[in-house]
Formats: sequence, structure tokens, C-alpha cells
Amino acid sequence: MPNNKQPSKGYLSVASKNQNFYVYAINLIESVKDYYPDARYCLVTDEAFLDGRESIVDDLILTSGEAIGAYRAKLWGMARSPYDQTMYLDADMTCEHEDIEFVFDDLRDRDMVFHELSKERENYFAVKYFNYGGKKEHMKLCGGVCLYNSAKPIVKEFMEDWWQYYSKQYAGNWMPESFDKAEFNKNLKVFDQTTLWWLTEKLEKYKDLNIGYFDDDIRWNYFSQYAYDMLQSKSGKPPVMRHFSGSLPKDQLIV
Amino acid sequence: MSEQEVSMEKLATYEKTWLDNAFWETPQKQLLNAICEYTDEKNRKIRKVLQLPRLDETGVENPVFNQCVEFLGDDAIDASTAERRRRKLEEAEVKKQKEIEKQKAKKLEKLFEYKLETFEIDEIKDSKNRQLKSKLRRAKSIPEVNLYAMLIIKDIADAEQQAAE
Repeated sequence: MPNNKQPSKGYLSVASKNQNFYVYAINLIESVKDYYPDARYCLVTDEAFLDGRESIVDDLILTSGEAIGAYRAKLWGMARSPYDQTMYLDADMTCEHEDIEFVFDDLRDRDMVFHELSKERENYFAVKYFNYGGKKEHMKLCGGVCLYNSAKPIVKEFMEDWWQYYSKQYAGNWMPESFDKAEFNKNLKVFDQTTLWWLTEKLEKYKDLNIGYFDDDIRWNYFSQYAYDMLQSKSGKPPVMRHFSGSLPKDQLIV
Repeated sequence: MSEQEVSMEKLATYEKTWLDNAFWETPQKQLLNAICEYTDEKNRKIRKVLQLPRLDETGVENPVFNQCVEFLGDDAIDASTAERRRRKLEEAEVKKQKEIEKQKAKKLEKLFEYKLETFEIDEIKDSKNRQLKSKLRRAKSIPEVNLYAMLIIKDIADAEQQAAE
């Protein structure tokens, strides 16, 4: 018998290491629900941050083991989505448009969908170009938002590998030999983008993953600084998700 | 004689081609900006950017100036000057617009931070009035944020008063 069950769809954000991210995440979740009240939302966070406001979420996952207080626990959280299709959103974003409901339409038959680190946007990314095997390479995918088919085992495995490799990379225990060691340690080690690039571009295991960009991708991850260059969406429609990555305090308390 | 005058005299002796983007510096057409190309005695291809006065300090006509005008034509230089002016005005307008957009974006960043601070006020943090909180989140200015913050506080006070009655 055919399986007519509709895949579950939900949003996921992660707040770890710093209390501010919990505050940002709560604001983000409320903003998504302002525009799409039926949205299912999963928050992954450190138990220490809970102050009652998490009651707004539909699914709560508390970090455990090495993910507690981890710098990029987002990768750990992404691998543990309770939904079949997941829209991951960085916590320091806010929703501004009702089209948030339709983001899942962009997945189609793809495994993962990202925001593109395009030429016109490169001013706003810390690292884009680097050396690998004596060649100049560049990062293409931005991990600030990611729509993915979390029901597919290979995709879940990818997310778990992303977390595992990144953790080793950040600890200084992993670096593919084709990277330039000095450049890696100075610029690349800290970024989960580095791991993402290596997994998607160099690891045989994931070469058949169907990875793409959102159709009008700037709308789903509009960095507030994009406005400095008057960057606009292809369709001319306003942003759905605005990202305040570069302007918010990461380590100082909000109040 | 200054070094520039010597080189100008020398320059007058070369056979030159002139790029068609020459423009008048002033409406009086006494100063011309132009780029020429020529081959020197050592067979080097030289490209030189020049600012050419029509007359020298003693009132004598500048031969290089005349060569350029003769090569390109007065009308072509007028047209190029007008085109340059249009382009520069357009660039200035884009720059001005970009600066306005940048200031707007920075204001939006500050506003977002201010909203987050407001949401950290205990009464607002604990409020269950989703409608007012949503309006606060969508506020377009700091006074509007303050207005909805006060309405949330009032909503709590009203609820407390009702409960007491």
C-alpha cells in the first residue's frame, strides 16, 4: 500500500554556550509564530538557560554530553531534528513575512538547500577564499539557514558528521592535509563553514547528495548588512528572515 | 622652464592618438583633461593622462591642447563632458542613496537590539499577551516600541486590578 502520510515539517533553532542566544531564539520563534501561528518549532538549548519562555516551543531538546555549552551545538541540534523536513534558522534572526509558511516548497526533491555565498555578498562573510591542495578554493554555502530532508538517513548522517568533524576541527584534532596549515589555524579552524565545504566538496560519501540554493535565497537569510549595498531579492519581494549576525552582542549580556 | 613645460614641448613633437573620453574641466573650456597614446624614441607605447591648459602662463597657446581638440573635435569633447557629468551625477546619487540605506539599516539594527532589551523587562518577558508582544516586535521605531511596552504594562496592571476587585 502506498504511504500517503504527509511528512512533518518544522523549524529548528539552537541556543547554546551564551544566554543571549536563548533570548534571540525565543524572539525568533515568537516572530515566526507571529506570521505563521501553526508553525511547529523545535528549540535545542542548554538546560541552564531555561526561564519559562521556552513554553512557546512545540518541541524542546536539551543539549547533552559534549553539546552542552558547545560553540557550534547547532550542528548537534540539526542532526536531531524531530521533523521529516526541517528549516534550520540561526537564533539571531527575526521573521518579517508570512511567506515563512511556504519555505518547505523550496525543498522539492533536494536533500539540502542553502543560502549562497555569492560574489555580490562576499563583503559580508569572514572567509570566502582559501587554499586547498595548492589551488584557490571558495566557500559557496552559508550555514546560517538550511532547509533539509531530515527524514533521509544519509542527510541525518551528514549532519552528525558535520558536528563530529567540526568538533574535532575546533579542538585542533582534525585538518585535511590539503589545507594550508597556517591559514587553516588562523582563519578556517573556527568556522563550521570550513567543515561544510569539505564534506560537500571532498568527501566521497556525500557526493550524490542533492544540494542547492533557495530559489530567491536572499529572502530567507537577509543579513542586515546586505542593505548597506542595497542588495535585493530576485523577485523584488521583501525579506522573510532578517539576520542580525554582525550587529548583535555575542558575549555581553543584553541587559 | 619647468620640467612639465619641457615635457609638454617634447610631447607636442610625438604623433599621438587621443582617447575619446576627454572632457572640459570648466565651462569656459580653458582646461582640458585628456589621455593620449604615443610611441617614444625607445619604441615604448606610452599612455599619458594630461590636464592641458589652453594657454600657458604667458598667454601663448598650448600646442598639445590644440592637437587634442583638433584630433577629437570640439563637439565630441562637449558631448563627452556632458556624458561624464551625467555619469558623475548618477554615481553621486547612487552613493547618496547607499549612504541613506546604510543609515536606515544601522537604525534597524539598533532598533532590533532595543526591542530585545525591552523584551528582557520582567513584566514584558512574563506577559502572555501575544497580540501586544507581536505589535511590539513589529514596531518601526523606538517610540513605537515604548508605546507597546507601556500598553503591555497597562494590560498587566488592568488584569491585576480586575483580579483584586
